[in-house]
Amino acid sequence: MTLAAAFLAALLLQLALTASRLWWVLAACQPLLLPVVGSARRFGPVGVAWTGLAAGIATDLLAERIIGPGGIAGAVAGAAVAVVVRRFEMEGPLYWIVGSLLAAACSETAWLLIVVTLGAKPDHLLLGAFATVAMTGAAGLLVAAAERLARAWRSPERRRRRVLRRL
Amino acid sequence: MVRIRLRPDLTITLVCAALYVGSAAQVRSPGGGSALSLAAVTIAAPAVALGNAVGSAWEDFRAGRRSLAATLAELGRLRGENAELRRTNQLLGAEVAELRQGSALLAAFPSLADHAVLARVAARDLLRTHSLRLDRGSADGVRPDSAVLAQSGLLGRVDRVLEHSARVQLLSHPAAAAAAAFPGVTGEGLLVGGDSPHVTGFPPYTKIAPDTPVLSTGSEGIYPPGLVFGTALEARTEGLFTVVPVALAAHPSEVTVVLVLAPATKGPS
Repeated sequence: MTLAAAFLAALLLQLALTASRLWWVLAACQPLLLPVVGSARRFGPVGVAWTGLAAGIATDLLAERIIGPGGIAGAVAGAAVAVVVRRFEMEGPLYWIVGSLLAAACSETAWLLIVVTLGAKPDHLLLGAFATVAMTGAAGLLVAAAERLARAWRSPERRRRRVLRRL
Repeated sequence: MVRIRLRPDLTITLVCAALYVGSAAQVRSPGGGSALSLAAVTIAAPAVALGNAVGSAWEDFRAGRRSLAATLAELGRLRGENAELRRTNQLLGAEVAELRQGSALLAAFPSLADHAVLARVAARDLLRTHSLRLDRGSADGVRPDSAVLAQSGLLGRVDRVLEHSARVQLLSHPAAAAAAAFPGVTGEGLLVGGDSPHVTGFPPYTKIAPDTPVLSTGSEGIYPPGLVFGTALEARTEGLFTVVPVALAAHPSEVTVVLVLAPATKGPS
């Protein structure tokens, strides 16, 4: 349920970031990859790949591109993230930052390769791919910071300090 | 009944392969997808509108901040300008007051004006050294022992002169002394300075009415005769003399422009 809510929120955010009144660089961000990264904590590589597949197809649909390459690329990215996260036992901010960067990089690489092998002309090349990786990595950084803040807010130490202050 | 049970990894691989084939088909036969496009646009519209609203709000906020910063900068500049104008106005006001005082002084003593130097009070120490510092000195014709006159009466004498400044020993100085007389009273006495200036030297029981003007006689060779030192207070006899306390006419704390008389000046105004 949480994953579905996060997926929906990311989808809306990805759409909203293309708004003309926002900074144009933000449109390169792929927030839909963040739930994929987040699911790597809960699922194995195949499960994460399914999540990535869904995210990629949603991206393809909303971007009005050929439906398929994005899904395959998302699946590849999800599997890669899951494998790396498990292999290196990543936790905390590093998990989100490396995970989002890796997901974006894998997704973009796979997408470009697939589109090229299909004989179609990709709508963006290296510059767009770099921008996507950078912006998605930045989004991962934000999520990591938010998670850290949330943890600090809910930490037992803080509760203890508050109780002691009231005494 | 045959049950097909696919492994998840194989399933996703198959799905991906199918997607690839589907993609290839889409590439080979472009067109269509208008319903999907419409759906995508419809789904995206509210989110894009929200994004635009956020962007507009942010732009408004930035524009507002910019104009706020500009307004605050303008306010600071105007405040500085206002303070500068206020200072200038005060200086001009002081100048005007001094000019008025100087004009009044010259008008009050027209006969002395030709031989006198108009000077500004640059500094004053009325409690410790009982002196004024004037902005005129020997270069302007100020000489030691010149009498210094304010509009309401005599202030004292010049006791030290530099090229461009002079020091005035006030009548309230403990060492100040001058020959003084009362109109209608025969003889003259000695005005002695200090915290309570008084005239002494008159015979005992001399009748001197309060508020009688105390005038200079010029016998000491400093003050021209006939100028006002102040007014007499209640006279009393002490020993062999009548002592008359004097309320000095000129208040050094209020004087900004004075007339420095030449030592040789003689004759009342």
